Amino acid sequence: MSEMHNDQPEAATLRLRGITKSYPGVVALDSVDFAVRANEIVGLVGENGAGKSTLMKVLIGLVQPDQGTIALRGERIVVKDPATAIKYGIGMVFQDGTLIPNLSIIDNLFLCHEQVFQRFGILSRRSMRSEAARVLAQVKVRDDLDTEVSEVTPAVRQMVEIARLLWLSELYRQSNPILILDEPTTVLNDAERDTLFDILDDIKQHASVVLISHRLQEIVEHSDRIVILKDGRNVTEMQASSADLAEIEQLMVGHTLSANRYHENEQTSPREEKVLRVTNLSKHGHFDAINFEVRKGEIVSLVGLVGSGKEELCRCITGLDKADTGNIHFDGLKLPAGAPSTAVAVGIGHVPIDRRNEGLALGMGVDENINLLVLKRLRVAGFISVRRERDNARRWIDECKIKTPSMTTMCGTLSGGNQQKIVISKWLSSQVKMLVLDHPTRGVDVGAKDEIFRLIRQLAREGIGMIIMCDTLEEDIGLSNRMLIMKDGRLVTEVDCSPDKKPSPRDVIGAIV
Amino acid sequence: MAETREDEATSTQRTAAVGRQRKQIPALYFTIALLVVVGFAFYLGNRNFLSLYNINTITSFAAVLLMVSLGQMCTILIGGIDLSVGGLISFVSVVFVVTIGRFGQWTYPLCILLGGFFGYLNGNLLTRIKIPSFIGTLGMGGILVSLAYLVSARPVNVPSATYKNLNLVNGELFGVGNVLWIGLIVLALFYVLLRFTASGRNVFYVGSNIKMSWMSGIDITKTRNFAFVLSGVGAAIAGVMVSSVRFGGDPSVGEPYILNSIAAVVVGGTALTGGTGGVLNTLFGALLLSALANGMNVVGIDIYFQQTILGLMIIISVVLTFDRSKTPIIK
Repeated sequence: MSEMHNDQPEAATLRLRGITKSYPGVVALDSVDFAVRANEIVGLVGENGAGKSTLMKVLIGLVQPDQGTIALRGERIVVKDPATAIKYGIGMVFQDGTLIPNLSIIDNLFLCHEQVFQRFGILSRRSMRSEAARVLAQVKVRDDLDTEVSEVTPAVRQMVEIARLLWLSELYRQSNPILILDEPTTVLNDAERDTLFDILDDIKQHASVVLISHRLQEIVEHSDRIVILKDGRNVTEMQASSADLAEIEQLMVGHTLSANRYHENEQTSPREEKVLRVTNLSKHGHFDAINFEVRKGEIVSLVGLVGSGKEELCRCITGLDKADTGNIHFDGLKLPAGAPSTAVAVGIGHVPIDRRNEGLALGMGVDENINLLVLKRLRVAGFISVRRERDNARRWIDECKIKTPSMTTMCGTLSGGNQQKIVISKWLSSQVKMLVLDHPTRGVDVGAKDEIFRLIRQLAREGIGMIIMCDTLEEDIGLSNRMLIMKDGRLVTEVDCSPDKKPSPRDVIGAIV
Repeated sequence: MAETREDEATSTQRTAAVGRQRKQIPALYFTIALLVVVGFAFYLGNRNFLSLYNINTITSFAAVLLMVSLGQMCTILIGGIDLSVGGLISFVSVVFVVTIGRFGQWTYPLCILLGGFFGYLNGNLLTRIKIPSFIGTLGMGGILVSLAYLVSARPVNVPSATYKNLNLVNGELFGVGNVLWIGLIVLALFYVLLRFTASGRNVFYVGSNIKMSWMSGIDITKTRNFAFVLSGVGAAIAGVMVSSVRFGGDPSVGEPYILNSIAAVVVGGTALTGGTGGVLNTLFGALLLSALANGMNVVGIDIYFQQTILGLMIIISVVLTFDRSKTPIIK
């Protein structure tokens, strides 16, 4: 952290100091410092869950920090919501965009601020158009102003958002606006990406840009300074000119980990029998001709960037989506496609990434959530037995070490880690043969992470096959027996991860990007 | 390690927060307390309010309202609503009177089947044609009212020769009217169904989180249809009871039950957002509304002022029973 302060702090336009934000069971940001100087592009990097998005949300007032201060040109400011942020010239372009799709470019551009074009109570369309043309010229948008936003490319949409933020800062007389771009290049093709960075270089003459991207190459090439976060803390920062890609990766992943973090010494070799066999599975636009197998007790990790098709592949295995061609054989039987109920019936469990919306009934008790899948088994003479219900819930609360004030406590009031253990125990009590674990440790604190890793090892010992997608490459390597690497919808390679032959993240990253 | 210590710190904060939420008294107790307070107030106004005769009047009224409300509760538990109960009660009421002469005792199961059938249609409007139940049942309600008038445009009386066919509802057992016995039996059936069968439990899961339910393999189409069938059956039972008690059918008799049934469910503490609530909540909700409606007559409150008090009481009881902190967005 000491590196933060050794170059002239007075040069910073915006300075965040000691920002701390915690959610139930997780510290998202732990006393983070962050500065933006005039006329620079700052690259902000870190793994998923490192706190990048939360920090930016603090900056634009979407999240209020528990502690810490924000100062703009030396003056302390309180950013209570995004509307306040833009008055200070701070705005963010989100990954999925915030424009209103059924309004035209010009309407979106001036939305909610049309009154400046008002003369005698009537909006002057003519001055709006000339102003729009001027503003959009800065970002090289030449589309018809009246086109609906839903009809233009994502690149144009992004540019319109950038133009809007620039115009608003002008409106509020902010001389050096700060633009935050969250993963701006994921939706762009190569040509569009080059245009974006050209424009950012232009904009830099009178603004600052915070760039968040998982494509480190871009960050190194196009930013002036790089700030690295890990686990909600500052790791370090460096000048981009002197930065080395491998070094950044190393810093992002960190090397403070204990040797046996993923319980590698408990890793067992898979059994002979196959539980899942995927043959020639394709879904147009997502993945193509995928073949692989999962054996009993085997942990197979699916690795790939967003858009590699791994998420969609899992959705087809769990029955949430239907593949176009190919077969899924489970336990020797061909699985009829396209219904989660059939997947559940044969014994495929799914721990979804969005626990709160897809994994739990938050308003219901711990016991009710655990017993969801086994109600039929808890019956005595046709009716659910209260005693059996209680016994089953108690058994799994103990087995998975779920910390809850009582059995009937509402799930919504528990921490992320305990919620995740409830989701897992729900599947375990139904005696699944295979589990698809979609980012099982997302939003889970360190201690609970360890218990989830332990649980995963135990499941493997019991012969449950698992497909796992993790938050970090390191976790994938640490947990799995075998890694399948996907890129652009195809399985590109397979990496052995037996305990004595674990590759390092740097060995595999080449195959992923 | 500093990190673990901080984690502990946040987890203690969290437990404290949990503790605060746990202190929340179940909605049901508020409803019961309100019922006691209201009952006592009316008793002070007129000692006859708690006479055996008047209690019998209140509970008989409540029994009919309870039948509609229990069904209504099922649709509200899955996060929907059934606005067709009024039309269905009217329709069943006239069909019952018109057919009882010909089919005799068979009219009872026939009417209940009819209710279930229209409930099933309502369910399918939601689950297969994907119309929100607010709109789907509104339309179905209109159709049913129209059908009721087509069967009989004017109130129609049960011929006195067939009065004995009404004994199932109008008779009494151990000195207690059959209306009450039917009410208790149906109440018990709903309780068992929702508490001790998987289909009933699924109603709560679907209402609490429909996406999770689907992903966990619950048949969400069947479950939601089931809730609407129960609502149809509840309304049909109410229709049969109303006609029997009045010795006649009326194509406009059901209308007030639409709002009253929703009010009884909500006053009892079942959230309109679905997933939480239950049979006992609705029982006390229906008792409270019935006691209010009767008590205001007994103590002689101006008939035109009664709706104001009823409205106020509904708002007050929802404020007391509904945990608004959990639903930042009121739908």
